Amino acid sequence: MTPLHLAPIVADLGRRALAVAGLSAALLLVACGGGSGGGTASPPVDTSGTAAGLPDSPTTQLDAVRLADQGSFGPTEALVATIRTQGAAKWVSQQMTLPASRYRSGGTDAVHRHTSQTDFCQGRGDNCWRDWSSSTPLLWDFYRNAVSQPDQLRQRVALALQQIVVVSNLEVSGTYGLRNYHNMLLDQAFGNYRDILRSVTLSPVMGDYLDNVNNDKAAPNENFARELLQLFAIGTCELNSDGSLRGGACQPTYNNQKVLDYAYALTGWTYPAGGATPYGCWPRGANCPYYNGDMVPLPAFHDTRARSLLAGVTLPDGHTAGAALEAVLDSLMAHPNTAPFIGKQLIQHLVTSNPSPAYVERVALAFRSGRYEGFGGGRAGDMKATVAAILLDAEARSGNPASRAGRLREPVQLFTGVLRALGGQTDGDALGWWWGEELRQHMFRSPSVFNFYPPDYPLAGTPLVGPAFGIHNANSALQRANFVNYLVFWNGSGPNASVPGAVGTRVNLQTFVADASDPARLVDRLSLLALGQPLPAAARAAVIQAVGSYTQQSSGNDHLTNRVSQAAYLVFASPHYQVTR
Amino acid sequence: MKHQPHAVEQALFNRRRWLQFSGSTLAGALGVSGLSALNQTPANAQSGYRALVCVFLYGGNDGCNTVIPTDTTRYNQYAAVRGAMALPRSSLVNLSGSDHGLHPSLSALAPAWAAGDLAPVFNVGPLFAPLSKAEYRSLPASDARIPQSLFSHSDQQVLWESASSRVTERTGWGGRAAATLGTTNPVISVGGNGRFGLSALQTPLVLPEPGGTFGLNGLQNPTWAPEVERRRALEALYAGSDGNAVLNAYMAQQRDALDMSARLGALVAVRPGDQAGSLLDAAFAPITTDGRVNTPIGRQLYQVAKLVQGHVTVQGSRQIFFAQQGGYDTHSGQIAGTSLDGDHFRLLKALGDAMACFYNAMRAIGMGDSVTLFTQSDFGRTFKPNNSSGTDHAWGNHQLVLGGAVNGGTTYGTAPTLVIGGPDDVGQDPWELQGRWIPTTSVDQYAATLLGWLGASPAQLDTILPNLRNFGSATNLGFLSA
Repeated sequence: MTPLHLAPIVADLGRRALAVAGLSAALLLVACGGGSGGGTASPPVDTSGTAAGLPDSPTTQLDAVRLADQGSFGPTEALVATIRTQGAAKWVSQQMTLPASRYRSGGTDAVHRHTSQTDFCQGRGDNCWRDWSSSTPLLWDFYRNAVSQPDQLRQRVALALQQIVVVSNLEVSGTYGLRNYHNMLLDQAFGNYRDILRSVTLSPVMGDYLDNVNNDKAAPNENFARELLQLFAIGTCELNSDGSLRGGACQPTYNNQKVLDYAYALTGWTYPAGGATPYGCWPRGANCPYYNGDMVPLPAFHDTRARSLLAGVTLPDGHTAGAALEAVLDSLMAHPNTAPFIGKQLIQHLVTSNPSPAYVERVALAFRSGRYEGFGGGRAGDMKATVAAILLDAEARSGNPASRAGRLREPVQLFTGVLRALGGQTDGDALGWWWGEELRQHMFRSPSVFNFYPPDYPLAGTPLVGPAFGIHNANSALQRANFVNYLVFWNGSGPNASVPGAVGTRVNLQTFVADASDPARLVDRLSLLALGQPLPAAARAAVIQAVGSYTQQSSGNDHLTNRVSQAAYLVFASPHYQVTR
Repeated sequence: MKHQPHAVEQALFNRRRWLQFSGSTLAGALGVSGLSALNQTPANAQSGYRALVCVFLYGGNDGCNTVIPTDTTRYNQYAAVRGAMALPRSSLVNLSGSDHGLHPSLSALAPAWAAGDLAPVFNVGPLFAPLSKAEYRSLPASDARIPQSLFSHSDQQVLWESASSRVTERTGWGGRAAATLGTTNPVISVGGNGRFGLSALQTPLVLPEPGGTFGLNGLQNPTWAPEVERRRALEALYAGSDGNAVLNAYMAQQRDALDMSARLGALVAVRPGDQAGSLLDAAFAPITTDGRVNTPIGRQLYQVAKLVQGHVTVQGSRQIFFAQQGGYDTHSGQIAGTSLDGDHFRLLKALGDAMACFYNAMRAIGMGDSVTLFTQSDFGRTFKPNNSSGTDHAWGNHQLVLGGAVNGGTTYGTAPTLVIGGPDDVGQDPWELQGRWIPTTSVDQYAATLLGWLGASPAQLDTILPNLRNFGSATNLGFLSA
């Protein structure tokens, strides 16, 4: 197996990662997770609350493809076969027992231990910023893992979480810190939302991103407190359990005073110890910037006065920063908004942009109770229960989805979906500064804490919302088709020598050539894989004709491969692929 | 919020139906546009071309440091509260005759002021109706007279872009204006989607940067059978409709995209240096290096300039554009050491230079009086800084309008009283003394002035801006000549 990265630029923090159990050859298209050295190994998986022992419950091609679109980075023929045999519940259960894939690439904490007066990157070559400060090494790992690692559902949930509790390389640099943050989301994807919020609040990366590190009671910065309430927990309007507005119109969940209360309560944290600069640490008493570990209390900066938080939670005079943090988290988990606010967004990221109120209510109940049909451990915020409730709900599994069902496949899922279906592999490099920027979803570089797109972006011409339409327009509509063209007709990208373990970005059409002598069979095979069903009749006929226009006379010995390219282009550029239902 | 169906919008709806039934053909996409037959004359009878260019400053621009009072009393009030964040009076770009100056980074706009083509508009923000401090403090937050979700980025962006006081508004005032006026094209955005250009039925036309591909690859050959058949099959895939609403909307947008790319692809692709002797290139030369405009906002305004210059190709005699610059959420690092450095300094430099180049470009091509540029932003920022060399979210903010039609050389709106806890500050309690101004001019009034110049009648203004009637006769702030 090819190592993911070269040793010199990889953090050498100890043990080899465990090889991921249960890999199937069909899924192992690039280097496996057990590369040389580097990064923390995944913690052991808590397999309680995963509804173990479910029997097989075979299902249809269409249902299997839908579940693959909802819970993985896109169907492959092997994955669809597995889901068809196991059925949704067992597949979800199995997915929750797999160890987490990791982010390993990129530089170490040396960027925050640099005490020489010369620039850190002096003498470290042209790729210093990329490898030590940027999120590009994470992007490589993300795409490699998304295309090939078996913990697909965990990775999808982590992708959803990072679009809610956003940090962005646009404003925070330090590869090792970003790596810690995103490994945390992978590790906690099937944990508990309260713990996720706790890790997010104490993350020094988040502390820098939203200004809560070294936040001083003398004049507290409100940035983190406001976004914690607005984006990470409860939103701005009071909600019923089904996600609708309480009272039918927006009643604010908090005012400026409450934001300030939370800002004061969250003062008094500094970076963990371990960093160093040529000039010492500033302000006095604080630690130098450092991203390994959680933030630590800085009592001199913490406001200890009594506070009244939301949901009836209060803080007494003389309390500590640690106690204040727990009270903040208690207040958010007790608030009636959190379950529908977070639950609905997770539904939008995995299944459909416009869930029915009843669906939201069922998911909110799973979040609150911590249980769903054998999944979960009974504590509010249980992610296993919530994710199972989302994917196994009748609305997600219905063979006859409503007219409002579905979502626009976001660009990241377009990239991985086509690569996975067509036997492709990638080192991620072409999917960042090129295609990621082109389609406005450059992983780890969200334009702001509000993510690449808002959850309520209106879908013009309908009463619905379409979040991913917030970055979709005439330009990106054409570029989606151009991306497929790039893969199937222009042979993608070759390896770039400056990328460790480079393989480029390419599909492998050979497995489909066997069916190319019969255009109809080829088109149907690709449609069944990509869409779960054949194309509508008129479009199917036109696609078959287009495929058949490559003949020995027109294109010579390559005509069968060209037919596969033609069929793949049309199926994957089709609107029926771009919108999942 | 719903507005009454308008005759022109009804006609537009029928146009979209026509496109769906007939199917937009790719043959049309490669050749002459099929949309020329659908030219609509604007409701207003004025002749000639007029365009509005919105520049949205995402994050909340600190207006207090953008337009600064220079008379001794108020400058001293400003300096006393702003402390290290205050700009030295000697550094300001003097707006002679107005007792105000601009942030030094906006020095490129000094000639526009001298020519009478630039004007600040003070303390603009989302309102339902005129609102006093007493009302703000006594009314419950859920009262209709208090705009929703104040101080929240995403919601205030919605309120500004939609000229609404309710965060559930789905359309933008630019989009509603384009629909009501029956402009040939929807809002054209060079700065991403946003909400501004959305109407009930249409999305804005979002274009890429100069040089960007705006078309489908691999379909250029009109005679080779595999490519001909590929085009035909794509057409078949995009045609028709489906029972699924999301898929339907996607397909409709795809068809529009193909039509637009045919008409505009070549124009969009032109970069600085592609056309010898280009007047636009000369105007943008100060911010161009090696054939590329240096800043994102510069590139966007270059693109707008091209589309204005090429308005015959773009079609339509009335056009609304949307551009944006991000990064204004300066909670920290707004200044660095002194106020003559830091994030805000750099942001305004990029903005001012790009605006000045655009202004010069419009004058160079004889369109100076035809194009008006105006700023918007999520909100202003706290008059009193925080302890992180930054400022926090506020409300009313100062905007700039620029163009030959501007009645410049003077200021508009009412500047706030620069007293923490004073009559214009939302705050009164000890914990809320940061200087967040209650707007004295609403987004509706600001938009109505701009749209009235564009050609909207009073009845059309009431359709586009439903809260405008709450401001009585004050629907034209006067900063644009007729």
